[in-house]
Amino acid sequence: MPTIDRRRFMETVGSAAAATAVGAPFVRRADAQAKKIIFGGSVPASGRAAETGLNVQNGYLTAVKYINEVLGGVEIAGEKYQLELRLVDDASDPARATTLVQRLIDEGVDFFLGSFGSNIVLPTAAITERAEKPMVQSGGGSDQIFTQGYKYMFGMFPRASRQFISSVAFFKTIQPSPKTISVIMTNDAFSKTNAEGAIKDSKAAGFEILESYQLPEQITDVSSVLASIRAKTPDILICTTHDVNSLLISRQMASSNTNVSLLYQTLGPQLATYRETLGKFANAIAVQMYWDPRSPYKDPYFGTAASFFEYYKANNQRPIAYHTAGGAACIVTYLEAMKAAKSVKPAAVRDALAKIDVDTVYGRVKFTPEGDGDPLLLGPAIGQVQKGIVELIFPEAAKTGALIYPSPKWNEKV
Amino acid sequence: MSLILQTIADGLVLGGLYSLAAVGFSLIFGVMNVVNLSHGVLVLIGAYISYTLWHVFGLDPLLSIPLNMAALFAFGYVYQRGIIQLAVDRSSLLASMLVTFGIALVLRNVLVLVFSPDFKNVTPSYAFNSLTFAGITLDFVRISALGASLVLLTVLTAVLRWTAIGRVIRATAQQELAARLCGVDARHVYGLTFGVSAAFAGASGAILGIVVPFAPPDEAIWTINAFVVVTLGGVGSPAGALIGGLLLGLISTFTSQFIGPAFPNAMMFLILVLMLLIRPAGLLGNAFSGSR
Repeated sequence: MPTIDRRRFMETVGSAAAATAVGAPFVRRADAQAKKIIFGGSVPASGRAAETGLNVQNGYLTAVKYINEVLGGVEIAGEKYQLELRLVDDASDPARATTLVQRLIDEGVDFFLGSFGSNIVLPTAAITERAEKPMVQSGGGSDQIFTQGYKYMFGMFPRASRQFISSVAFFKTIQPSPKTISVIMTNDAFSKTNAEGAIKDSKAAGFEILESYQLPEQITDVSSVLASIRAKTPDILICTTHDVNSLLISRQMASSNTNVSLLYQTLGPQLATYRETLGKFANAIAVQMYWDPRSPYKDPYFGTAASFFEYYKANNQRPIAYHTAGGAACIVTYLEAMKAAKSVKPAAVRDALAKIDVDTVYGRVKFTPEGDGDPLLLGPAIGQVQKGIVELIFPEAAKTGALIYPSPKWNEKV
Repeated sequence: MSLILQTIADGLVLGGLYSLAAVGFSLIFGVMNVVNLSHGVLVLIGAYISYTLWHVFGLDPLLSIPLNMAALFAFGYVYQRGIIQLAVDRSSLLASMLVTFGIALVLRNVLVLVFSPDFKNVTPSYAFNSLTFAGITLDFVRISALGASLVLLTVLTAVLRWTAIGRVIRATAQQELAARLCGVDARHVYGLTFGVSAAFAGASGAILGIVVPFAPPDEAIWTINAFVVVTLGGVGSPAGALIGGLLLGLISTFTSQFIGPAFPNAMMFLILVLMLLIRPAGLLGNAFSGSR
């Protein structure tokens, strides 16, 4: 049987008493402060993905500011919490993002928000998964993110290969019926899988795929591709490209007078800068739209999509984009999961996220068993630039404008 | 046949831009032996100057080239005398490479702070117009880019060959010690050379801005392109930069058209490796090596 002598007993008791005396004021002070839920993550606030990265970040910031300042925090299992963000700039660099996310885990952050770009979300998700910390994100849609068997990863977007279901349904409604489609993609995880989904779904719907062009991830010239398109012109040209590449393609199409009946881009025209740059030439370009301030969605936090937009506008200089609303929805979804779990423990919140079915101003959020957004509830609507703004043209229930088809030729646009 | 002609025309037009963007890099490399890894960011500074002049005063980017070159010349001179020369004096030419890399990172982030990370565009009235003849379509901005590149490269050739400054630069590049013995202030000449290089980077930035959208992170692409152009064409001369740039443009468009649009970069680096193995000094060789 172990024994303890009198001297060691006195040392131990003395140390414990001293520690309690020194620590007690801090414990009392901590009790007096509101409890905090900390969300961490990296976002590309600089670098090539920064334009949309800042939109995602603004969504996170706006939601946290609104919930803390307007609602006074959030109540979970009878306790009031304030929210805190610990966001770091990953400079659009996946390697830097993984280092920063690991550091946040080491610092004790339990809940993660996603970066923008599948190439960043994918490696950071591997780290949060290993640490068994949930990540909710609205910046990565590549299939690879959702086919690794991850349990702690949840995305607002349907996986890329499922993002064209509504688009192809829209193509089928166009009159006179388009028959041929060509696809331009870039060599990155999102664009490729998105294009593969577009080709598969378009073929299944009876469209003929004339050509698919795969470009490097960063492009400075598409004149050769456009020469091919002029030689073999499709009715619809789909570009599953990111914002800057989409703009370059549109600019070169306009300046080389390369015409198609419908130019359809997954990203680009949703940005105000894209539309301002192209001016009248942006008109009639179609785009996937995951959210619009005129959407009919509601939640108990912001009220309506329109009131979220008004609050955002009053507090930000930067124009709103659907990624902003998606970012805010990540926070709301987390809070609803915590309420459902009656806990702020990562494992319990993860289980609640897997089962979540909740209305937000971004839309009704529900995840597939693999963690991506439900393709029917969170799939894109279709927009078309008309007189400089994006009007929703599909589905019928969300329509704010009628489709212009075929698009006027570039030199006839007004 | 028209597809081949179109591909050649596209390649030459793209090559003109590559040539102009690389000539400054080539000159510094040839004269000073400095691999300027901040060259791409100087190109982008030129693009942002033109963007600002166009956005604020409505000044056409091509007309803003002289202002742009003057500003970048002054910046380049101070940069060389104040930073690069110090690094070379205190350490070695290798240090200058590290210094320019560091400066590129700093300047890139300064651009982010000043102009935001959002991509910018310069779209003058002719930005969306094109010319079509014999089945070949070329857009105005790229034709004007090629035209401006040829004019500027010709001017640089003339300056280097026939002016006093050009003679001094060539003399210093060939034999620094001999030039100094003849009373040439070599440090001042290096500053001038760097200034001229920066000025041409600025001019190419002005043209770049009307051709492609740009953002601060793009600087690395223009440094790499310049490196490839110099390796292809040869170091130190505008002719080398022109040949290297046009070749790179043609390689890029032909690969894209006839092998696959995903492969221009792969082909570009394959040819870079082959050139380094077969003819490391480039097609025209080092313009100043003969007398070194």
